[in-house]
Amino acid sequence: MKKLISATCIAACGSALLVSASITTANAADWPTKDVRLVVPYAPGGTTDVLSRRVADLLKDALDTNVIVENRPGAGSTVGTGRLARGGRDADHTLLMASPGHTIGAAIYPDLAYDPVEDFVFIQNVIDIPNVMVVPASSPYNSVVEFIEAAQDQNMAFSHSGVGSSIHMSGELFKTLTGSDMTAVPFAGSGAALPALLGGDVDVSFENMPTVYSHIKSGDLRALAVTSAERSPYLPDVPTLSEIGEYNLDQFVTTAWFGLIAHNSFPEEGFEAMQNALDEVMEREEFLNFAEQLGAQPGQVEGEEFKQFVIEDLARWQAVAEQAGISQ
Amino acid sequence: MENLNEVLQLFLSVDNFIAIALGVVIGVTVGSIPGLTATMAVALALPFTFSMQPVAAILLLVGIYKGGMYGGSITAILIRTPGSPASACTLLDGYPMAQQGHAKKALKTALFSSVIADFISNIALIFFAAYLAKIALNFGAPEFFWLICFSLTIIISLASGSMVKGLLAALMGILLSLVGLDSVFGSQRLTFGNYNLMDSISFIPLLIGLFAIPEIIEFYRKKVVPHIKAKASGAGMTLAELKRSLKSIVRGSLIGVIIGAIPGTGATAAAFISYSDARRRSPNKANFGKGEVEGVAAAEAGNNGVAGATLIPLLSLGIPGDVITAIILGAFMVHGLTPGPIMFQENLSLIYALFLGIMFSSLILLVVGNAAIKYFSLIADIPKSILFPIVLMFCVYGAYAVNNATFDIWLMLAFGVVGYLFNRTGIPAAPFLIGFILGPMFEDNLRRSLLISNGDLSVFVRGPITWFFIAITFGSIAFAVFRFFRDRHAKANPLGNESPS
Repeated sequence: MKKLISATCIAACGSALLVSASITTANAADWPTKDVRLVVPYAPGGTTDVLSRRVADLLKDALDTNVIVENRPGAGSTVGTGRLARGGRDADHTLLMASPGHTIGAAIYPDLAYDPVEDFVFIQNVIDIPNVMVVPASSPYNSVVEFIEAAQDQNMAFSHSGVGSSIHMSGELFKTLTGSDMTAVPFAGSGAALPALLGGDVDVSFENMPTVYSHIKSGDLRALAVTSAERSPYLPDVPTLSEIGEYNLDQFVTTAWFGLIAHNSFPEEGFEAMQNALDEVMEREEFLNFAEQLGAQPGQVEGEEFKQFVIEDLARWQAVAEQAGISQ
Repeated sequence: MENLNEVLQLFLSVDNFIAIALGVVIGVTVGSIPGLTATMAVALALPFTFSMQPVAAILLLVGIYKGGMYGGSITAILIRTPGSPASACTLLDGYPMAQQGHAKKALKTALFSSVIADFISNIALIFFAAYLAKIALNFGAPEFFWLICFSLTIIISLASGSMVKGLLAALMGILLSLVGLDSVFGSQRLTFGNYNLMDSISFIPLLIGLFAIPEIIEFYRKKVVPHIKAKASGAGMTLAELKRSLKSIVRGSLIGVIIGAIPGTGATAAAFISYSDARRRSPNKANFGKGEVEGVAAAEAGNNGVAGATLIPLLSLGIPGDVITAIILGAFMVHGLTPGPIMFQENLSLIYALFLGIMFSSLILLVVGNAAIKYFSLIADIPKSILFPIVLMFCVYGAYAVNNATFDIWLMLAFGVVGYLFNRTGIPAAPFLIGFILGPMFEDNLRRSLLISNGDLSVFVRGPITWFFIAITFGSIAFAVFRFFRDRHAKANPLGNESPS
């Protein structure tokens, strides 16, 4: 009897080993082996959420598995990102849609429990939305230089969508680079900020392209410059800030970037599978149309380049946060 | 004529009708589950609209929005758990009505008043969008500041009983609303280093805790509560009651329309302003808060009046007034449409087709709401000993679902204790809530005004809108003071003029 029991035990253990071994090989052979989670570190309904859901929808076909979007909002994007950084059982199938909140958050929150660069792998930059420097139609300034000259001895108010948003930080960056006298006026989101700009209560804003594009087209707002490295195909007549060539503006290149990252234990096969899937997604017509609607450009960098990009972005915002005295 | 044809062609498709009906059903269902808000439902439905025709896509989202606005009132009335923030005001009279065995009446009142308000709001959207949008654009931070000041005076009428307790509650609400990040400098306030508090105290856990939990605690403390059981919880709303409430409903709807047209104020404030306005004017003033039909009607009219009107700044200016309209804006953009003045020039037929659909959605709301009441009012007949454990489960789930955070469950339970203490000491919860909602708006707009004007105080009297709100704010305070002295006088001489000579 005893023998029988021990034999059964051995057999059981053996088969368990076999099963687990076969699982590991399955893991190595192909990824994904189960549903993929895409964490959105913001509440439902924002740009990051809408974009993530669109991408998840297309990834589902490319990966041939379910892609479940999960909102983990809080404290900029640091609550959701912090959770990802802790890893855990599903870390090999969990992605996160990172945005400037990733670097700005790290720049302005003093004691984050994670390292914004080393704790993650950077898969691919998916989309870039430029910010546009806009003034109300009634504004006397027709160019960036005119604006800066006026701002040397006159205080200008700029609206933004909340402390630590890319809109706010772009304004602060402009202020430090050009030495303009500017006051940040916070609003609860871009929607609330827009009337103040249209009505002329504030002098300027560095809004995201999709928020102001229709108002630029209708003539209610005047675009003085875009913040991206190259001119936007949607506003081909509007110069980039770096083109201006004065007031240190050659250093002013920022976009609201969105890209997928994962925990640094993310498997190599997953990394490759994700890059292939994203390449496929980013060529799809639905995706390109979506990007066009946002006035956005498909992302340019992936892997190591993406990581370098994030490191530079982080350094920039750290400098701005320090100069502007923003720290939470 | 050609245009009309095109509009009808766009509107009269089976897809549109299915989208509206489905939207309203989803909205009512989700709205009635505490913790699941219409905002969340709209966000989750968005990806499904990508592959739909633009009109059907937008109508689905609008349907969810409108259904959700009403749906929140169902659990507010039945189990004192507001399904959405805006229906917190509905429970002030709705729940007492349910307790008295008039659950069905309260639900019907909420539905009729919601549908009427919705209809008025739609009319405003269709005919006065351009004018209201202009007002909205003239509403800068100083104008907002005075609107909030005026709204804060409604605490006076909500502080039933003791003014001191009412003000105390309001100040506690304001104090708690300060928790989180400073809106100008981004520094932490009253968070005690806890990152869960950085985004300020979550509203839904606060609501659930404040209202639902004290009922449950009270039930287990007393052990026996008389269970009033009427067949399927009583009769519906009578015509006489509808007539009596109609003025409040219309006034509430108009309040909702104006507040909805101004980006960034929100349905919750509209509901409370409408409620306090109705209470001030009603001959049944004393019955408010104890189960007054008019109170339910006014609150629901206020919050549903907002629903159509928030589309005004969205469609005519391209400005989303709240998160839901921001998502709907996203849906427009996915379909290659950009709301704003240009859309009125380029896609007029589409806008009119949408208008038709939005009007139709009010009708659907009536039908779906009626069906929902039939089944939901049965909940009021479930014995409390069975119902309350289930409610508690929903409370925990609802608090968790908002941010997927366990911290919020603890927060909800803590507010449950606060709410219970409020009940025992007779401190009214409504002013607390008003303080919590309006406190940050007051502060932000005050600071914003001063930032815009570089510290120049004259910005606060800069135009007719500010003058108007200053006048009604001080008028409202003066009226309250006058009434206070009159009541005191009446108390001192209970027989008034007929005192013996």
